[in-house]
Amino acid sequence: MAALISLMIAIPLIGAIITFLTRTREQARLVALLASGISLVISLIIFSRFDSSISTIQFGESYPWIASLGVSLKFGVDGIGMPLVLLSNIVIPLTVIFAWGETKEANRFYGLILLELVGVLGVFTSLDFFVFYIFWEIVLIPMYFLISIWGGPRKDYAAIKFFIYTHVASLVMLLAIFSLYFNAWTISGTPSFDMFYLLKNYSVIQSPLLKDAIFLALLFGFIVKMPAVPFHTWLPDAHVEAPTAGSVILAALLLKMGGYGLFRVILPLLPYSGSPAKLITLMAIIGVLSILYGTFLALAQRDLKKMVAYSSISHMGYVTLGAAALIPLSVSGAMYQQFSHGLITCVLFMSCGVIQHSAGTRIIGDLGGIAKHMPKLTFLMLAGFLASLGLPGMSGFIAEFLVLVNSYFTLPTFVILALFGIVFTAGYHLWAMQRAVFGTYNEKLGHIHDGANYEMASMGILILLIIFFGLNPNPVLNMMTTNAQQLLKFVALRGVIT
Amino acid sequence: MSLYTYLLISAIIFAIGSYGIITQRSGIKILMCIELLLNSANLNLVAFSSFNGNATGQVFAIFSIAIAAAEAAIGFAILVALFRVRDTINLDDINILRW
Amino acid sequence: MFSDYAAFIVLLPVIAFVLTLFLGKKLYSGGALLPIAAIAGSFIISFGIFLEIYPKDGIVQQSWPWFAGMNIGILIDPLAVVMLMMVSFVSLLIHIYAVGYMAHDPAKPRYFAETSLFTAAMLSVVLSDNILQFFISWELVGLCSFLLIGFWYHKPSAAAAAKKAFLVTRVGDVLFLAGIVLLYVNMSEIIAGRGFTVPAGNFILQFKTMFAAIPLINPTQLTYITLLFFGGAIGKSGQFPLHGWLPDAMEGPTTVSALIHAATMVTAGVYLVARTFPMFAATPSTISAGVPDSLLIVAYVGGFTALFAATMGLVMNDIKRVLAYSTVSQLGYMMLALGTAGAVVGAQAVGISMFHLISHAFFKALLFLCAGSVIHAVGTNDIREMGGLFSKMKITGTTMLIAALALAGIGIPFINIGTAGFFSKDMIIEKAFEYGQLKGDFIPYAFAIIAALLTSIYIFRLWFMTFTGTPRSERHSHESPGVMTRPLMILALFALFFGFAHLGFYDYLNKNFELLTGEKAAPESGGVQMSPIVVLLPVLVGVLGFLISYAIYHKKMLDMSKLVSSQNPLYKLLLNRYYEPKIGADIIGVKLTHDVVAQSGEFVDRKIIDRLVIDNIISNTLFKLGEFIRKLQTGVVQNYASITLLGLGLLILLLRIKFGGT
Repeated sequence: MAALISLMIAIPLIGAIITFLTRTREQARLVALLASGISLVISLIIFSRFDSSISTIQFGESYPWIASLGVSLKFGVDGIGMPLVLLSNIVIPLTVIFAWGETKEANRFYGLILLELVGVLGVFTSLDFFVFYIFWEIVLIPMYFLISIWGGPRKDYAAIKFFIYTHVASLVMLLAIFSLYFNAWTISGTPSFDMFYLLKNYSVIQSPLLKDAIFLALLFGFIVKMPAVPFHTWLPDAHVEAPTAGSVILAALLLKMGGYGLFRVILPLLPYSGSPAKLITLMAIIGVLSILYGTFLALAQRDLKKMVAYSSISHMGYVTLGAAALIPLSVSGAMYQQFSHGLITCVLFMSCGVIQHSAGTRIIGDLGGIAKHMPKLTFLMLAGFLASLGLPGMSGFIAEFLVLVNSYFTLPTFVILALFGIVFTAGYHLWAMQRAVFGTYNEKLGHIHDGANYEMASMGILILLIIFFGLNPNPVLNMMTTNAQQLLKFVALRGVIT
Repeated sequence: MSLYTYLLISAIIFAIGSYGIITQRSGIKILMCIELLLNSANLNLVAFSSFNGNATGQVFAIFSIAIAAAEAAIGFAILVALFRVRDTINLDDINILRW
Repeated sequence: MFSDYAAFIVLLPVIAFVLTLFLGKKLYSGGALLPIAAIAGSFIISFGIFLEIYPKDGIVQQSWPWFAGMNIGILIDPLAVVMLMMVSFVSLLIHIYAVGYMAHDPAKPRYFAETSLFTAAMLSVVLSDNILQFFISWELVGLCSFLLIGFWYHKPSAAAAAKKAFLVTRVGDVLFLAGIVLLYVNMSEIIAGRGFTVPAGNFILQFKTMFAAIPLINPTQLTYITLLFFGGAIGKSGQFPLHGWLPDAMEGPTTVSALIHAATMVTAGVYLVARTFPMFAATPSTISAGVPDSLLIVAYVGGFTALFAATMGLVMNDIKRVLAYSTVSQLGYMMLALGTAGAVVGAQAVGISMFHLISHAFFKALLFLCAGSVIHAVGTNDIREMGGLFSKMKITGTTMLIAALALAGIGIPFINIGTAGFFSKDMIIEKAFEYGQLKGDFIPYAFAIIAALLTSIYIFRLWFMTFTGTPRSERHSHESPGVMTRPLMILALFALFFGFAHLGFYDYLNKNFELLTGEKAAPESGGVQMSPIVVLLPVLVGVLGFLISYAIYHKKMLDMSKLVSSQNPLYKLLLNRYYEPKIGADIIGVKLTHDVVAQSGEFVDRKIIDRLVIDNIISNTLFKLGEFIRKLQTGVVQNYASITLLGLGLLILLLRIKFGGT
């Protein structure tokens, strides 16, 4: 079967259309679950046949599209994309299961969720910049509607802010893509949007200034999405207003697109840019700033969900830091952080969702002692929080350990700064747990009930996966390392690192 | 007659049309002026075509005439509809879309 | 034969944890049986391995590759095997005791599941063969302590104490992690080189590889690494200044306190220093280039903590808190032993320290279980409300007296008869004296000897106030059931007689690093002849402490009301624990971190980035621009047409300029 990847993208797309057409919510959620489930099965087939010892593109497909512009539909996965494809396919069905009880315009709700899957799968597998950009933008639209229709009280503000912020970043990125495109065109005489081809021709650009400008434009496009400090303020607002399923997808998958961009686009360019040393420092500063700033901001939050949103910023800082360090294992650690954070953050946002649904508030001070009535949720939430604070035995630890240890080779000062964050990371997680979940029960909450079984099931599966990948990272880590080594082979030659 | 004669005539028609669009207030007159502009362009196309011995320009002119017909039909239809609603086709009074 | 099943030492309690957690309510006796059986299994395997390797001086090594050039493995050498036996044995007794102690708690399955995991994590710390696995298990120990201290999570104080325990030890853990980072970087340069590829069969963070590479590591870096490791040990073992969590950890059930303070968790810090002792011993012994000697710092921190904690032990009224400070103080002794004896006799210090660790485990577990028995009987922790319990609780009273004697280190010098603490603690104090002679620095010795006096005072104060005199409150009390008293008796036997094993123990542990690295340890320096007064002094202060307590708390010969009042600043200082909770939690934790740093971050985020930059500057500028430009939309068709024409004219003009022509 040659066209596995396009099949994997097509099925949720067809599923989304069918879901839009269904009449009852029972039908809608069933179709959504089936479509995303089939997509998961296909991605598992790809994953099982994937050879993690080679760094080239596997399962490649190519179809001509707009020949005169050099656009073609090219898909394929390698060690960078494969884990994220798998992650997307894990998260979406679980989100559908978690949101099994959605009643408001269910057919559109599930349809938009499936569209998100189409978008992110497209981003993680396309190898043509034009198509990549299309999918990159496709992702925005369902999320905009998820926030603006199913969101909280300030949903309009949050949705617009989310859309404009990330859209501006995409446009800046588009400009950079065009300059890469025209640059390659002038060199070879034939237009092509092939991603590797454009990236390869970056080094030919004469002006170091232009090189840096292109690099920074791309970097801007990606780190807004991640998001990194100081371009992060859209994230807390979007998360606070988004419905739980929207938050889960936003944090688990959409943020990963930014990190994916770092590995796919930024790292190959970095050694050839005009002033690599400065840019590496810039990235490291952004990374560490995100880690520390996110941590302290999380500490200051009163809304549980906002706290989790800031914790995402903090965790994504490790991705930037690991990528900037340019050591094979730090880069694969950063990739692993993406994968692991995708799983962990789902549990956190789901916990917030269950609490909001049950207690009617997410303000930490208004909760208190809910463990008494929500034992199952407490168990899963505690597991998720512990994973998030980097407890060994969970996947987050492996990633952060690899990043910290290996980044020290090239960025010792930044690693020391990042280490400071660890105590406070534990601090805000546990403090929030102590105030919201433990202690004496706040009788003002009235009678609250534990989460529904489908919610608990999808959180439980995630926890099991987190523990599995915390104990045995090799299935995904090996392919990441293979690609990281390939990415950095020429970096050492260039002598960027000392 | 040289090409320049045609171009001159075309330019004069274009100028008349432009002047009409800027000065006139009646929607019908403005539409007619637009027709003048289009026809000046058509004249150019045909003239170039004939002097270059290439039929493409003439084809384009016919194409343009067809478009102009459609445009005129829609334009007049809009004006008729407008007149029914507002009792006027004076475009100075039709300004609800301004800032 | 047993060594083939070494992995089951950890796996059995883990399996018991999983089963008990999910099926606990359906299992026999609230799930207690399974963990007990599992830990008994761990103990049997450990003991079997000991019997196997002891005669032939063997070690057990098993290793499996894990990820990114690191491994999971088992290393059972003399150091590990004695710890394994102690941990599994004491934990087993505490589990049995808990069947009685926790009998009425509805959350029993969760309790036994968590203690089972706790034991598993600690056993895994002990038999790790590499520092990463050590760290992972170490963190899991921290997690379990969090869960167990906060076992009664509906009590706000328990939830707060659990958080504090986790966070304070986390400070140490971060230092430990930083040490690992530094070690990894050094080891990677040695083993993997520039290519960052580890040769097959080598594992970067394995103890064996680490010890072999010690001479290759830059000495300054080595000092930093060891100091950072020691930072981790400070957190876990409650050394000054990260000691505050340990007394607060008393919020958990008493059995948990016994488990944390005797067999597991707190000893992990000492074990870490012992485990990596070759690295500590290899740090440069002079204060050169501004880098202090690691062993010196270990000795001073340990010694100071021993004294510092003992002073607070004097005034506490909560029976468990007295014991908690006692634990902190005794852990200080163990560190002191590693620091001072390390300078005097090298790697043999590990044996000296470990002997105290294990004898302490016995008598401290005993003390806590006795305290638990008392609390179980009278229903309060406050010793001011106890008194005269001996007649009602003979077994508890007797066993606790034995434990107190062991803690105070009472024994008869020169003919070597005494309690476990007598042998273990006196050895430490003697080594501190030798260290003083060697270096001309008697401060650690002074710490040790004063702390010994205070130890004796506070523990007998506790015993007299609890068991003698007249009852000070109307509480019904009774002796605890057999399932609780029998473990007490077993532990009392060990507290009394374990000391006699000291010579064999030292001999066995001295071989430890020799077996591991294949290098012969330096032969013993022949032993300095001690003057009788040095040998006698530790016991003398012990007895003196007993007499002081006897005089004050039993005979009431001195009126303490002047001293023990809120007017006395010294008493206030001690009772408020040197204001450590205030400084640590309130000032550093809440005021500085949350109120100042985090809130100003929030201010920057909301007011500056979001409000000022995005809303006011970017957004408003765009809006203003839009306001301005939309004025062009006059709504007059003629204007539009004129502008269009103007544009056209400009375009033509531009084309002319660009391309020229006539």
